Amino acid sequence: MTEKKGHFDEDLDLRISPKLSADLNTLFKPQFSVPSELDRAIMDQANRRLVQRHWRHRVFRHISIWRIAAAAAVIIFAFSLNLTQKPGPTTTSSFIVEAQAVDIDRNGRVDILDAFKLARYVESADLTDKNLSPVSSTGQALRKQGWDINGDGLVNRNDVDSVALAAVRLDKNKGVL
Amino acid sequence: MDSDQELIELVNKGDPDAFEALYRRYRDWVYHLAWRFTGNQQDALDVLQETFTYLLGKFPGFSLTASMTTFLYPVVRHISLTIRSKNRPFTTDEEILGELPAPASKETQSSRSELAAVLAVLPDEQREVLLMRFVDDMTLQEIATALNIPIGTVKSRLHHALQRLRHDRRTRDYFLE
Repeated sequence: MTEKKGHFDEDLDLRISPKLSADLNTLFKPQFSVPSELDRAIMDQANRRLVQRHWRHRVFRHISIWRIAAAAAVIIFAFSLNLTQKPGPTTTSSFIVEAQAVDIDRNGRVDILDAFKLARYVESADLTDKNLSPVSSTGQALRKQGWDINGDGLVNRNDVDSVALAAVRLDKNKGVL
Repeated sequence: MDSDQELIELVNKGDPDAFEALYRRYRDWVYHLAWRFTGNQQDALDVLQETFTYLLGKFPGFSLTASMTTFLYPVVRHISLTIRSKNRPFTTDEEILGELPAPASKETQSSRSELAAVLAVLPDEQREVLLMRFVDDMTLQEIATALNIPIGTVKSRLHHALQRLRHDRRTRDYFLE
């Protein structure tokens, strides 16, 4: 499918009589014009299709908008539910309560020193029974001060461990107080 | 007057009046081209209707990347050849040229008949490029795009077609010295 190489000469184009174009146009001009019935048929078809498609497009677009809006509403609702269920302020207050419970030396901070202090009291309080009895006067006094951290009715090493754990955890969370 | 691009944007929005403006602008060009390919009025009208039905099917979402004639040419060509092969499977281009209307005066009759005779012996692809250039008034680049061939091939075909006309005693008068 090779064609002989020859270049179209723009000058040659300029040297062509306008009569060539005129005669070609006359030669290839249909004898009859387009009947008006065909014009109408084509325009009716265009009207029907364009209006139909335009409405379909608009309806589809509206449906899409409503779908997006509904989805957004569901997400916002779910998010708001999640927020209300999340114990935001409650968490803080429970941390405060918990922190107050383990703030043995009442210096406003829960740290490992509270655990040491509680440990010292536990060690020195009742030497015969390492677990301070709930009925002993020392035990009652300590519980009154809120040192029965784990609420098992005894003030012992387990409470020291709880304070130590709280100190570490609060420290990790940058503290609450 | 709105550009093709502006009209297309309006049709994309569902405006039937903009489609009618496009139709009025290209109706005769499509009809003449179809008639050139089919050589038959009824077939040409069928091609006209199918071409605009095809164009209508492109909306909404149609975007024109070249000129409208460049877009429409291959569509008209394809539909014409399909209809022609369906309705008159054994008709050749030469026979279609033979069906060209008789010119008015004796003098013009003579020159146009001779032009038609010379055109009839041109290879199809050369005649096609010649008509696109001098009847459809398409640029070389538009012809290349419409036929999906390199611009060098367009120049080559046009060059050979014009050379043939120039060297034929029946058509040499179309060339200025």
